[in-house]
Amino acid sequence: MKILHPKTLDATLDAIKAGATPVAGGTALQMQWSQGAERPEIMVNIGPLLPCGISHADDGNITIGAATTLDAIRQGRVPLLSDAARDVAAPNIRRLATLGGTIGFGAGCLLPALLVLDAKVTTTQGTLPLCDYLTAPTGLILSITITPAQRHFWCKTGLRAAFTPAIIVSAGALDISDGVIVKSRLAVGGGVVTPQRLNTVEHWLVGQCPDDLDPAALCERIDQNVQAPSCAFRTATYRRRVAALALAEGILHGTAKATKRKPPARPLPHPDVKTPPVLTTLSRNAGGDRWHTRPDMPAKVRGTMPYLTDHREDGMLIARILRAAHPHAKIRSIDTTAAQALPGVHAVITHKDVRGLNRFGILMQDQPAFCSDKVRYIGDTVAAVAAETAAIAEAALALIKVDYEPLALVTDPEAALMDDAPKVHSDSNLINDIKLERGDVDAAFATAAHVVEDTYVTPRQMHGFMETEGGWAAPDKDGLLVCVGGQHGARDRLQLARILDIPQEKLRIITSPIGGGFGGKDELTVQPALALLAQKTGRKVRLQLSRAESVAAGTKRNPMRIRMRTACDAKGKLVAQQVDLISDCGAYASLSPSVTETAMEHCAGPYEIPNIRTRGRTVYTNNGAGGAFRGFGSNQMTFAVECQLDRLAQKVGQDPAKIRRLNMRMPGTPGYLGQTIAPTERLHEMLDAAQASDIWNDFDVEPDEIAGVGMALMMQGTGLGTIPDDTAHFALRLQDGKIEALCGLDEMGQGLIVSLHAAVSDKIGCDRADIRAVFGDTGRAPDSGSTTAARGGYVVWRGVENTAPTLATKIITAASDRLGLSPERLKIVPGGVADITANAPIPLVSFSELGDLEAVETFFEFPKSDYTKSNARFIFTYAVTLARVAVNRINGTVRIARLDLHTAAGPVIDMAAYLGQMEGALVQGAGMTLTEDAMMQDGQMVTKNFDTYTMPSIRDTPSEIVVTAHESLDAGDPFGPRGVGELGITGVTAAIANAVADAVGQWPTVTPFAPQDILTMMTKGART
Amino acid sequence: MSITFTLNGSPATLQQDETLASALRERLGDTAAIKVACDIGRCGACTVLLDGAPMNGCLLMSWHVAGREVTTIQALDTLPIGATLAQAMTEENAFQCGYCAPGVMMSLAGLFTTTPDASDEVIREALEGNICRCTGYHSILRGAARARDLIKEIK
Repeated sequence: MKILHPKTLDATLDAIKAGATPVAGGTALQMQWSQGAERPEIMVNIGPLLPCGISHADDGNITIGAATTLDAIRQGRVPLLSDAARDVAAPNIRRLATLGGTIGFGAGCLLPALLVLDAKVTTTQGTLPLCDYLTAPTGLILSITITPAQRHFWCKTGLRAAFTPAIIVSAGALDISDGVIVKSRLAVGGGVVTPQRLNTVEHWLVGQCPDDLDPAALCERIDQNVQAPSCAFRTATYRRRVAALALAEGILHGTAKATKRKPPARPLPHPDVKTPPVLTTLSRNAGGDRWHTRPDMPAKVRGTMPYLTDHREDGMLIARILRAAHPHAKIRSIDTTAAQALPGVHAVITHKDVRGLNRFGILMQDQPAFCSDKVRYIGDTVAAVAAETAAIAEAALALIKVDYEPLALVTDPEAALMDDAPKVHSDSNLINDIKLERGDVDAAFATAAHVVEDTYVTPRQMHGFMETEGGWAAPDKDGLLVCVGGQHGARDRLQLARILDIPQEKLRIITSPIGGGFGGKDELTVQPALALLAQKTGRKVRLQLSRAESVAAGTKRNPMRIRMRTACDAKGKLVAQQVDLISDCGAYASLSPSVTETAMEHCAGPYEIPNIRTRGRTVYTNNGAGGAFRGFGSNQMTFAVECQLDRLAQKVGQDPAKIRRLNMRMPGTPGYLGQTIAPTERLHEMLDAAQASDIWNDFDVEPDEIAGVGMALMMQGTGLGTIPDDTAHFALRLQDGKIEALCGLDEMGQGLIVSLHAAVSDKIGCDRADIRAVFGDTGRAPDSGSTTAARGGYVVWRGVENTAPTLATKIITAASDRLGLSPERLKIVPGGVADITANAPIPLVSFSELGDLEAVETFFEFPKSDYTKSNARFIFTYAVTLARVAVNRINGTVRIARLDLHTAAGPVIDMAAYLGQMEGALVQGAGMTLTEDAMMQDGQMVTKNFDTYTMPSIRDTPSEIVVTAHESLDAGDPFGPRGVGELGITGVTAAIANAVADAVGQWPTVTPFAPQDILTMMTKGART
Repeated sequence: MSITFTLNGSPATLQQDETLASALRERLGDTAAIKVACDIGRCGACTVLLDGAPMNGCLLMSWHVAGREVTTIQALDTLPIGATLAQAMTEENAFQCGYCAPGVMMSLAGLFTTTPDASDEVIREALEGNICRCTGYHSILRGAARARDLIKEIK
């Protein structure tokens, strides 16, 4: 790629004539490149030679130089354009993108606004209307002149609130004289919609009086004139409808016909007010001396945290992985000869290089490290290369010849269960089938007063950790060092040792720090390729997946379809429930069967239902790979259960709190599966907190929005359950003047380090600064089990409880020996050991002066009940989520105005970490509910990167989030603080769904909620 | 062919076919300077200042940066508001995994340098291009509001 920088416009035009591609900001070109377009060989930089700036003429016209950035327009107080620019891309992009580029590119969100401003384009060939330029672009754009009208309106609808590709953008400009429209311009465009003026409607509007217009007829007229296609995300019908509603709203604005505020549908009454339980507000202001700075925060704030993908050393080789070319195919042969012969290539590896077990998987080893006979999803690993540069490694990948025989695809989990369905593995596509039947279900349904039934659908949510999978591996004495972000180093070591066929002792695995995990780094990712390449080359090798490769290869939340039928008697008492769940596992099991099992364990939520018939099936398909994701099945099931409760309440005529209180399990009774449940049950308190909340009060929304409030009550199991081994080693020692907490969990951002500092300082009496956490490294920390299932909080607390008293005694004894004072006179204080009678806690001897003290070790099992008929949790946490939403009547989108989360999970170890877990989980759950779905078609990713995979942006996050903790424990409860990594996500989807129903009167059942569905629910009478 | 620009006060070069982000991370191995999470300008993790204005390092190419000044998170303290911003974000525990942090910090550094009294609304708009997957943004907003307060106190 060559870039020319001519000195004159003539030279620029010559270069363009000779074939050079003009570039200014370059953002549109770069977007095309990222979607696979070829980069031009020669580009010519036109930005510096073009006019720049905004000038206002006396006649009201405004001329904007072609090189003016969209950010300058955003800041420039240009009628309509400045407001519209707010919705174009994001500030960083707007600072690069130019107005000339937007027009030259011929698409983009700003074009409808320019069209209604009657833009004239001045090019090197003359001046012509923008419409004409767009039809037949000619010449180099120099400037744009616009003619503002009296009144403008603008509406962009995308996939989320900000920084989103456009679904449709509409704009209008009107001049009105004596109540009559004298000039009208309407336009649509954005994304796949060709920018267009709506001439027929414009002409028809002239001479009309807005007050006399019939809104429905106007909408219909506009709808018929909009040309818009469908795409994978939204239909043409939806696009036309949104444009029509938005433009009609703009035209009728300020008239008697404008949209009137619409009260919520309120299908069930809001609950009575209750006195709240004791709740701790979590914040720096409210926290006082309970609010601490996380030890890892200064490094993170300054960007010095050394992530494992950041490691660079001279002489490191760079790895690349060859993924499957088809989502389902037989491999006839793999020929690596040409790749191996490429200069600079040090190793090419395939299944032939796997000496040990060529399979991995946390539960069942069904996933090949390197595919040998077939590929089953688009992210399957076929070969890997280590080379001197990334370019050589990529060139080598292109030289590997794989001969495939494509096989029939199976992409629908229900179809995958048919006898004649193609098999993803050698036998049935059904991985597990969990059934439970209790009571007389048929009789209960037959005599029930009310029955509700629906199918709840949840998406293939992507973890979207900001740091993609990667790291490095190196020969380490006679073994290997593998440094890749993970969530259980000891298990990664076990799996890798099996693949490499070397003893586990020869492997050291470093798994922290991690740039986000959320379950997506629980399974092995790039470790097998990196380890095998380091082993084969005897060199250090590094690799970080591109986002597109991460999207294709990484595990995702299992899409689920949950058919649920629930019955109650005339008073609202639940009598029966039937559940049929099908989970799309993708090509390999990973933890998917456990996710289904966990969903089934939460089938009745926190309620008692005497008659139960449930079935949950996990099914192989060629749709990527499913696995662990925060919530782990319970949030999907809670969505269904909590919506069913509200729908029954509507039938009975009860409020949401009343029906829940009537059906809640009683503390001390057996759990859903009959297992014993740990003490400190707090459902009643959580329901009280919900009823005490002011979130139910009326609140302001925009005129085109409908307000709604909803709730979800939940109990969330923690730990792995009764059947899997769930144990932890932990140790505490004095080393080099620091109290070291040796804990093999991982820091993914959740606050492991700060929790260790908090728990140890609390128990020992030292300062948090006296502590050093040693974690995420099998060479230095013991196996504490996996950093999943909200088990970390308990592991930290129990580990410290078991070791701190003994270490404290050892420290006091050592100090006593050194100082010649009796142990009774001494106590541990920040920095060392002090005289118990002294007023100020000044150490008589510092920790470093005491020398090293041998580690105090502990090994314990995560608390379990004795129930083993199926997997069952023992320790639960309790919460209620409340949502305030505003449903948009123009485009059917849902704005979350406020989320409340009241939690009961025992004492809060560290306030900031706890609050962070809750807020983050809420918004992650909101993403799954409203905007996130890793869409696939025919086994291929439709959403390939963050341009169309839309996680919540800052404009999508609720304006207000309230998080509290009810910290009490039952007398004698020996289990301390509970883990809270998942609690925040469990009820969000249900609370938002119930709030939407409060607003529009119907329950959305497919997540992410399709705005077209919500629009349909509303438009039945919305404009009457 | 390469062009020259100023990187945190020192001269640096960029090849014509590489982005600033890939030059820093891959060619120069300076991974503390910049993080990359999407590489297509859609997450803001790679945000740096170009002549003081926040930009995506993964989109900046030779013709953008030639002769201009790039400031990365490593030079945060050279900005008058840098240390105060860092202090405020630390106190509020603004981040979790921290991978988006350099980008968020530079977006805010650019904002507070020109607009120390930015309203909540302006702060939100300035962060619309920065995706954070861990926090749900509220801790970041609290940190930014705290930074604004602290900057006011200094003045």
